[in-house]
This record gives sequence, C-alpha cells and structure tokens, in this order.
Amino acid sequence: MDLGLIVYALNLASIYALMAIGISILWSSVGIINMAHGATFAVSGYAAWVVTGALKPVIAASLGQTALASAAMAGALVGSALIAGAICGAIIYALAFLPIHDKPNYPVRALIITLGLNIATVQGLLWWFGPRNQGLPKIFGFGRWEVWGTRIRYDQAGTIIGAAIIMALTLGWLRYSRRGLEVRAMMQNAEGAAYSGISRQATALPVLMLTGALAGMAAALLSQTIFVSPTAGVIPLVKGLTIALLGGLGSVPGAMIGALLVGFLEAGVGATPFLGQRYVMFATFTFIIAVLIIRPRGIGGLLDDTRE
Amino acid sequence: MTEKTYFKVGRRHWEWRGAPDGNAARARARVPGSRRHWLKWRDIHNDKTLGRERVLVDKKPLWWTIGLGALAVATPFLPNSMISVVSIFCIYAAINVLWTLIVGTAGIFSLATLAVVGASGYLAAAANVYLGVPWPFMLLIGPAAGFVFGAILAAPSTRLDGLYYALLTMGVAEICRVFVSQLKALTQTGGAITQVDSFIPEDWFLQRPGLLLGFAGTFLLLLGALLVWRLVNSERLGMLLRVAKTSREDEAFAEAVGIDFRRARLWVFVISSAALGVVGAFYAMYYRSISPSIFSLDQLLLLFAMMVIGGLGRAEGAVVGAAIVTLIDKGLIELGPLRIIIVALIMIVVTIFAREGLTGARDQFRDFRNRKAGERRARRTEKGGEAMPEEAAETHDKQELYYRRFNKRLRERLKVMITPELIEEHKRDPLGRHSDALARVLNFFRRGEMADKYVIHRMAPAEERFRIMAVSGIRGMPPRVVDDREYTDIKDAYHAVFLLRVNDLLES
Amino acid sequence: MPEILEIRQLSAGYGPLRVLHEIDLTVRAGERIGLVGLNGHGKTTLIRAITHMSGWQQGSVLLDGAEIGGTRSLGAGRRTPGLVRRGIGVAPQGDAIFPGLSVRKHLECGAHTRAAWRDRKARIDRVFDIFPPLRPLEHALVGKLSGGERRMVSIGRMLMTEARLYLVDEPSLGLAPKISQRVMEALWDLPVTGAMIIAEQNVTLLTGRASRIVGMHAGRMRGDVGHVELA
Repeated sequence: MDLGLIVYALNLASIYALMAIGISILWSSVGIINMAHGATFAVSGYAAWVVTGALKPVIAASLGQTALASAAMAGALVGSALIAGAICGAIIYALAFLPIHDKPNYPVRALIITLGLNIATVQGLLWWFGPRNQGLPKIFGFGRWEVWGTRIRYDQAGTIIGAAIIMALTLGWLRYSRRGLEVRAMMQNAEGAAYSGISRQATALPVLMLTGALAGMAAALLSQTIFVSPTAGVIPLVKGLTIALLGGLGSVPGAMIGALLVGFLEAGVGATPFLGQRYVMFATFTFIIAVLIIRPRGIGGLLDDTRE
Repeated sequence: MTEKTYFKVGRRHWEWRGAPDGNAARARARVPGSRRHWLKWRDIHNDKTLGRERVLVDKKPLWWTIGLGALAVATPFLPNSMISVVSIFCIYAAINVLWTLIVGTAGIFSLATLAVVGASGYLAAAANVYLGVPWPFMLLIGPAAGFVFGAILAAPSTRLDGLYYALLTMGVAEICRVFVSQLKALTQTGGAITQVDSFIPEDWFLQRPGLLLGFAGTFLLLLGALLVWRLVNSERLGMLLRVAKTSREDEAFAEAVGIDFRRARLWVFVISSAALGVVGAFYAMYYRSISPSIFSLDQLLLLFAMMVIGGLGRAEGAVVGAAIVTLIDKGLIELGPLRIIIVALIMIVVTIFAREGLTGARDQFRDFRNRKAGERRARRTEKGGEAMPEEAAETHDKQELYYRRFNKRLRERLKVMITPELIEEHKRDPLGRHSDALARVLNFFRRGEMADKYVIHRMAPAEERFRIMAVSGIRGMPPRVVDDREYTDIKDAYHAVFLLRVNDLLES
Repeated sequence: MPEILEIRQLSAGYGPLRVLHEIDLTVRAGERIGLVGLNGHGKTTLIRAITHMSGWQQGSVLLDGAEIGGTRSLGAGRRTPGLVRRGIGVAPQGDAIFPGLSVRKHLECGAHTRAAWRDRKARIDRVFDIFPPLRPLEHALVGKLSGGERRMVSIGRMLMTEARLYLVDEPSLGLAPKISQRVMEALWDLPVTGAMIIAEQNVTLLTGRASRIVGMHAGRMRGDVGHVELA
C-alpha cells in the first residue's frame, strides 16, 4: 500500500469519523438515532455555497487576489457551514426532542421524525435548487505536495488536518469541560443527572447543535473533494450510521476506530484491480455485517467493561 | 294519556344491543373447520331490566368488511388511472400487512422486506422468461424463493439487537441492488427483466378489462395477506409472541414459562417472507417486468412512511397508511417532489402527536382520558372516607358503599365528642368505668380494622419500659415502631395509644 | 428558628394510585429529621414529591418561604434540576450513579453552582475526609465499586454543593451493618446550616441522633402530632 492510498484512506476516514462521532454522541446522550444527519450535511453544503457565492464579489472587491482574500473565503465557507449545521441541530431539537422526549416509545419516534425531516429536507433542496451539482470554492487551493515521491493534494491534507483538529476539540470538550461532564453524566443516568442539577432539556440543545456543526464541518471539508447536491447527504449518512453501529453505538473511540477501518477498507477495495469502485459499498456492508455477527455490540463492546 | 318518554343513560347508550331470549340455550356459528366464532358476541345481564342483552365486543371485523367491500364495489366505476392507483394501493397494503407481521408480531426490525419481494420476483420472472415456466408456476417459485431467502435472513436476527439488525437488512437490500444491476445478462435493460408473462392477457395490458382483471388480482392478494396476518398474528404463533413482546424482562419471563420465542419469531419471519415471495411473483406479473428500483431506499422509505402514518405494528394501520400515502404519491402526481415533502410532513406530525400512528389515536385518547380520570379520582378520594360518585358506580358490592358512608357519619359524630375533658378522663384512668362519651369512642376504636391499631411492646421481660408499635394489618408482617418515645408506666402507654388513635380519628 | 421547608396538604401518587395523603411537615433550620416507616408507606414518594419526581402531586411545598410545590403539569423530573439548583441536595434511593465516570468526575458533577465548581478540588478533598475509603479509589470507575462505596459516592455528590435542605433516601439500604453505621455517622457529623431529612427503615440507627423522628404510615404522618399534644 503506497502513501497516496494511505492519504486517501485517511481522507475518507476523517470525513466518516466526523459523521459517525456526531451520530454516536447523539445516541448516547440524547437518545436519538439522528437520521437527519445527512440532511444537515446537505443543508450545510448548500448554505456554504450560497454564502460564498454572495460574498465572492464583496471579498474580491475589498481584498483582491491576496492570501487574505482566500483566508476570508475559507472562513466564510467553514463558518457558514458550521452555523447552518448548528441551526439544523436546533431544528431537530425543537421537532424531534422537545415534544416527545418524555413520551412513550421515544427512541423509535425520534428516529421516525428525523427520518421524515431527512426526506423532507432532501426533497425541499431538490425542489428549490434543482438536482444540479454545485462546486464550492477551493479553500486549500489546487496545488499538491511531493512527499517521498507521492503527490498529496492540498484538499486531502487540509481535510485530514481540519477533521483531526475538530475531533480533538470535540473530544477535549467532552472530556475536560464542565458542559462535557454534564453530557457524559446525562448519557449514563438521567435521574442521577437530574439530582445533580443537570437539566436534560438544557443539555440536549448544545449537544444537538454541536453534532449538527460536526456534520456541517464534514460537509465543508467534503465539498473540497466532491460537489454539493441535494442527495449528497445520503451516502455520508449511511456511512456514518453504519460506522457508528460498527463502533458500537455510543462509543466515541469505537466510532473512530470503525471510521479508520472502513476508510482503509474502502481505499483498498477501490484500488484493487478486479474489484474497483463499484464494489466499495458492497465490501463495506459485507465487512460490517461480518463484524456485527461475530461481535454483536461492535467494537465498543470490546472497549467497554463497566458494570451497569 | 301522554306517552312516557325514556331517556337513555349510561355509557354508550347509542350502541345497538340484542335482546336474546333468556330461556333459550346460547348458539353461535363457528368458522368451518375451526373452533373460532365469526363474531365476538358477549351476553350480559342488565341489572335494571333484569333481562339478557347481547353486545358485539369486537367491532373490527365489521369495519374491515365495510371498508374492503366498499373498495371492491366502487373500484369498477372509477376512471382507468384511478383503477391502477387502487391496484397499486392493494399491492402496497399487502406488502405492508406482511411487513407488519415481521415488525409488530415478531418484533424484528427488518428493512429487507422489499429485498425479499424483489429477489423472489426476480427469480420467478427469470424462471418465466429464460426457462419458459408458465405463469401459474411463478406463484409457487416466488414463495419458495421467499422462504429460502427469509430463512437465510432470519438466522442472524436472534443474535443482533434491533438497530444492528435493521442495518444488516438495509445492507442486504443494497447488496441485492448492486448484484442485480451488475448482472451481464440484464445490462441492456438496465438490470430489469421485461416481457414477463402474466395472468392478464397480453393484448389487454393497460386496457380497461386488463386493469379490472389486475385490480381483481391485487384485491385477492390483499385479502390473502390479511388472511396470513390473521392466521399468524391471532393464532398460536402470535399468542406465544405476545408474551415476549415489549422488553427484555418479558423475554426472560417467556423463556421461564417454556415459550421458545426465538423459534416462534423465526417462524413468523419465514412465513411472512414466503408470503412476500408470492407478492414478488405477483408484482412481476402485474407490471410484466421487474427492475432494480424495487431494492432502492426511496421505495423502502415510502413503505415505511405508510406503516408509520397508519400505525406501526397494526394491520389496519398498514392498510390505512398505504391508502393515504398512495393517494398522495400516485394520485397527486402533478405536484412533483412536493408530494414526498407532504408525506414526510404528515409522517412527522403524526409521530409527534400520536404514539402509534393514526389508527392508534383512539386507544391513545382513551388511555389519556382514563389516566386523567384516575388521577383526578385519586386526588379527591380520601382513604377510609366516603366513595366518590364515579368510584361508587364501579364498585360492584354496594354494601361496601353503605358501610363506608355509615363509618364516615359515625366518625363525624365521634369527632365532636372529643374534648380536653374526655382526654383528661382517659389519662386519669385508662381502664375502668368511663363516661358515656368515652365509652363510645373506645368502642369505636376497638371495632376498627386491624391495620389502624397499635400494640404496646414491653422492651425487656419483667421491666417497666414500653414502646408503641403499629400493627401492619398484614399476616406475617410484624408490627413496626412508631416513634422513639419510651414509657415507664403501662398506663402512660395506654394513654399514648389512645392519643394516637384520637389523632388518627381527627385526621380522617 | 427559620423554617427551611414547610409542606402543607401535600398529596402525591402515580396514576390512579394515591400514595401520600395530605401531608403536613415543617422542618426548621438545623434540624435532622428521621423519616421512618415500612416499605411502600410513602417515604420515598415524599422525597420524590418534594423534588417533583412523583407521578402527580398537589399541595404546597415552601422552601425558605418560596413556593416550589403546586400541581405539576409537566412531565416527571422536568423541574428537578431547577429545584436542586435552588438548594435541595438529594441522595436518591438506588444511588443513581454514573457507572462510566470516575469517582472524581462523579463528585465534580455534584458541584453544580459556579462557586462550588471553582472550589471543587477543596470540596472533593473534604468529601474524601468524610469518606476515607474513597480516597484511594479516586480514579476508579464508579461502575466497578461495591454497594457501600457507591452509596458513599452518591452521598458525596450530594455534599459537593451546600444545600438548604438535604434529602437522604435509605442510606443504610442493602449495606452491611458496619458500613451503614459509618455512613450514618458521616451524616450526623456533617455541619448543616440548613436541614436534613433522612428516610430510614431502621429506627435504631436514628434514635438519639435525629432531632426528631417522624413516622409514616400508609401515606400519612404518624407520631408527629398535629392536633393533640402527646403527653
């Protein structure tokens, strides 16, 4: 396996990890399987497209063709994607969490509502923007580096580094901040959390906005490699969901390991001559099904050994 | 002379009630070949008229008959486009009813329903087109393929949890789609098998007689699916699974009483997969072709939306949901992508407000009403007091009500008798001759129920230290200490018990 | 002495089941009240009703003169975090611990006010002084601790923030006598500016130490005399 393939695999893995971690955190803290994660992804991509399209003449007029201009562009792109993702999270909070979170059958109903949101959003985007693919400005530029004889595109490197930074920030926030402690406490025992002054309603909103922003970040990063389209969210959603399951729903380290495994598997299958790109989905599903049949609780089941 | 007018009172006075002859023996018609009855009648005794009355307990069969009958009668008068919409509705409803068996009865969250339909449809169509098997045999090949496919799919369902299994089945659907569209033999048609022979003659295809014949076929298919649902869900398999339905504890309980619920689940899955195989073969015949779009996620989501809107796990929900969604999806085709948005919005609204879809709304409302009524009653009733009106209506032993009313009046009378002088009298002399008022109060205390009484506990033998304990009133459950006060004189202890009882009396 | 908690005519229950019948109870500052009674006679429900965790409730509950009771229309537990922040510390029945957090993180969860959070190191140290067995377990996962240690962690979490009213539900339940003695000692030795209610089945653990013992029987108060003074 040469270096280019490894970089490609890491590139895939970082996007998948961003999606899978969002789904995993959301399930364990709020109890929602967020099927609208793909919609959040697509909406963030479109928001970035609209905002950068509107700001392009403004930035060009004020800053010209300088490095500052491309930095401003990158900031506008990432910022708008993050904000749009967070707003989507807030909408999911208002529709799928707040009205039903203490009603019977809550997990299934939340799943159905987010699924409905996903369908409605994708169709709404299709209706509003049409099915055409939209390209976003390249924030990392078009160049490539030569490292040990292989070429690494800027966007690949930028994606890997950006995703790593965002994930490190998220995990650090969960681990060290007070709000993160509250989220983890709520994941484990809702009643104990209530007796510790942690309100479920107040904690769920930042979690949903955070995971929405993670999806927005994934959209911003992936937009450097592929185009934005209404159905762009479906594949990341399915991948994120399967990887979150592979990692054992709710386990963040499990999701990251799962993302790495699947990224390398897909890169490997795509590069293998007799298999090729068309068998990538097939191979991923077969792999995950095999893992789940052997270890029904996924990778997280191996890592977790506390007594309930 | 004026005619006497009667006003109907009571719960559901509008309901029709039969008046069978009280002297005649009860005779009910049975379904041939079984011990079941056609309708669930119940004879009740009317306390007022002293007559026998007959009520229909389960009205669902009536609604099914009316609904399906109206569909069968009305469809031949519809325009051509609507007939095909109704036929599609019948196919979808049949698939949904069978899927309900898997999700509701067996409790397996499978998303491979359309994969089973598609796979068996493909096999049946291939047998017809490439091997020249005549079309009636497709209806045998389909279920055989569905049976085998279902058995393969069902195997991991006992090992995996709900969501993990859902993912697995979604993966299977994807694998099927990729596999079919990669087949070399089908590349020029984009993965579809066309020119399938059918029960509709070729020159009738898409003509009115053909459409009517197609509707007749799909209607029979729906009836068959409902029959399968009835036979599986309401007979032995369904009964077994109802024990192990909701939670892990229920499963443990089912295992403990000797129900092999895993086996029952597998059987339900395999049976409905075989039935879905019939639907698959029928699907290929009805459209005279089958294409990989049957494995697509969109189609699956549409079916899922039907079940959710109607009510997950209910046969009537599957049919009602199919009707609503098919009407929007196929009837309002000029709206374009907007109609999918409408379906999704309906799905969201129904899920936010209804626990179990539209058909569960009635039960949900009743639960809500009963819960609120129970809470209100619990707020108002006083323990040991008089019964509230609605409680009285539900207490069958009316003697109980009079006893409670008498006790309450007695307590009211005794409460005013309790004066500081009375307490002083008892303190002076707990045992012995008492005044009339004190004697009445003490008599009432003696007559009380065991749970209201106290005992005096001598702390150590031959030692004058006493404590007061309350009797539990339950056999085998020991009395417990009331407080930490100790008395050195038995008379003080007697008086303390008296004061406690007086307290209880004044509080009640 | 000021009244910390004043309960008037409090009724509570779950659905059609009424557990508490018009309870009246007044708790003054500095008091430690022992709440005794058998299983199923409403001790836990009283504590849950004060913190709005019961199914339904009506009646008045005054905390430092401010109304926190009333008829609850929102779901169970919605107002509980707010009440905890207003100064009710709870060590619930069954401990309600977070199995995947370490003892230290667990105690940090209890420091929910800003002041307590800033001061959390010193406070954790103080809890370790009260419960010395916890000190070596500082980084152990709570899910792996024994029942007694879990109880200590649960009570320690309650002690991380000063409360006006401490509610301790069955501190000796399921513990070995020696350990339950130690837990009770820790509760008695605690300097309390507000008040404390300890629900307990074992009266001998309370005698002599509690400032008042209140009996509960079939959802009513017994022993705490309202109408007639006991001799």
